[in-house]
Amino acid sequence: MNIHLKTAWDYIRRSPFQALAASFVLTLTFFVMTLVSVLVYSSSKLITYFETRPQVIAFLKSDATDTNIADLQHKLAADIHIKDIKYVSKEEALSIYKKATSDNPLLGQLVSPSIFPASLEFSVTDLSFAQSIIDNVKGESVVDSVGFTAALGGETSLNDVVTRLKTITTYVRIGGIVFVGLLAITSLVVLLVITSMRVVGRREEVEILNLIGATKGFIRSPIIIEAFFYTLFGVILGWAISFIAVLYLAPTAVSYFGEIPILPRDALGIFELFGVVFAIEIFVGAVLALSGSLIAISRVKKAR
Amino acid sequence: MSEEETGIIHFKNVTKKFGSLVALGDVSFDIKKGEFLFITGPSGAGKTTILKLILGEVVPDSGEVIIDGAKVANLNSKDLPKYRQKIGTIFQDFKVLPERTIAENVAVALAVIGLPQVEWNSRVEHVLKLAGLNRATNLFPSQLSGGELQRVSLARALSVNPKILLADEPTGNLDWETSDKLMELFEKINKEGKTIVMATHNLEIVKKYKKRIINIIGGKLTK
Repeated sequence: MNIHLKTAWDYIRRSPFQALAASFVLTLTFFVMTLVSVLVYSSSKLITYFETRPQVIAFLKSDATDTNIADLQHKLAADIHIKDIKYVSKEEALSIYKKATSDNPLLGQLVSPSIFPASLEFSVTDLSFAQSIIDNVKGESVVDSVGFTAALGGETSLNDVVTRLKTITTYVRIGGIVFVGLLAITSLVVLLVITSMRVVGRREEVEILNLIGATKGFIRSPIIIEAFFYTLFGVILGWAISFIAVLYLAPTAVSYFGEIPILPRDALGIFELFGVVFAIEIFVGAVLALSGSLIAISRVKKAR
Repeated sequence: MSEEETGIIHFKNVTKKFGSLVALGDVSFDIKKGEFLFITGPSGAGKTTILKLILGEVVPDSGEVIIDGAKVANLNSKDLPKYRQKIGTIFQDFKVLPERTIAENVAVALAVIGLPQVEWNSRVEHVLKLAGLNRATNLFPSQLSGGELQRVSLARALSVNPKILLADEPTGNLDWETSDKLMELFEKINKEGKTIVMATHNLEIVKKYKKRIINIIGGKLTK
């Protein structure tokens, strides 16, 4: 085993409670960090879903010809802010109505396709473009009226929902970042305290190593490696616990949110998401370990 | 070849003060390559200060200390470790790492000089055998006597194959018999061509091993 690794491991073995304190604080930090990352991901997906689901329905006049409809469809398709255009014929509209009123079949029997207008449904890539697009579509000669998806109760309520979601998401993000930041600072302080204790405890050893010609790097290496041990342990354990917790809660969350993809639906997607979070946490852990140990070492009085 | 050219250690008008205390006052001397030199004098005379100046642990207030062509005071933080790696030091208080075994104490010195790990075992075994410690390799310093610890310090110093060996009161904590054995070992090492500078106040040793002597009293050379 490399001498620095062995020295670092010996320090950990000789003071297990310090090691446990550092590891557990870091575990908590990375556990929360993973959960906040997943929350941020899910809330982003939630907003994206509401922002991009079919929202605008252009009801067509009854005298609109197939050519007119096709022209409008092409025109809409050319707009980069519009996607997922779908033509709904009178018959399809009746079918949707019948499906929606399936608990009361009488309602479906009382209507004929002729009373339902054909329509063009589409989504906007960003809700901020919705109003101008609606105004343009309203001006089309074949369009009778324009509305938002009925499920959300219309233009005003959709805007309200998205605005509320954006506000909540912003709070989640800011709150998460602040909480993770506080935990990261706590971890850094704990690392600093433990590393400083280690450096002070090693004062005699450092003096001896200095006198026999050890370089600064040689003297610092075990202390830095020890800090890396703690952060690596914290990252792996914190991440693993969150991963298991999310996997455990995922079926409930997914069924609650229905078609809204708050989490990736396939195993590969889940692993990809958690893989990215793990990589980021390893980087953050490395920064914490390096800064904590180097600051602690630099606080010790330098000898020639 | 002049004495200046063959010398490995040069002190030129060196003065070192600690506060108002003059540890060394205007001291000059040279030590040749392969020489065995005793620095004698009472406690507090300045013997250890000379060794510390050679090791670069302290720098002179005035004058120059030149070791193997390098002005020690001018060595920067990068060069100083490399310089110290060329010097083996046996400390009066042993300075062994208490939480490492005897073999590990020697191996640390080899790690410091960057010797490949595969060569450590044979080198450690060799120097511990030379120092008569081959049976104590896996013991910890707390399990050894003062004399044995002094030999650990010697083994560590020798392991890096230094050009210069500094010994600060190496027999200070030892009985006569153990001191004599240690001195025989120093003689053997000196015959291999190593320069040895030994600070001691053990006059019996100095008389027995007739070597060049620098006597220092109150920071001044007397011979």
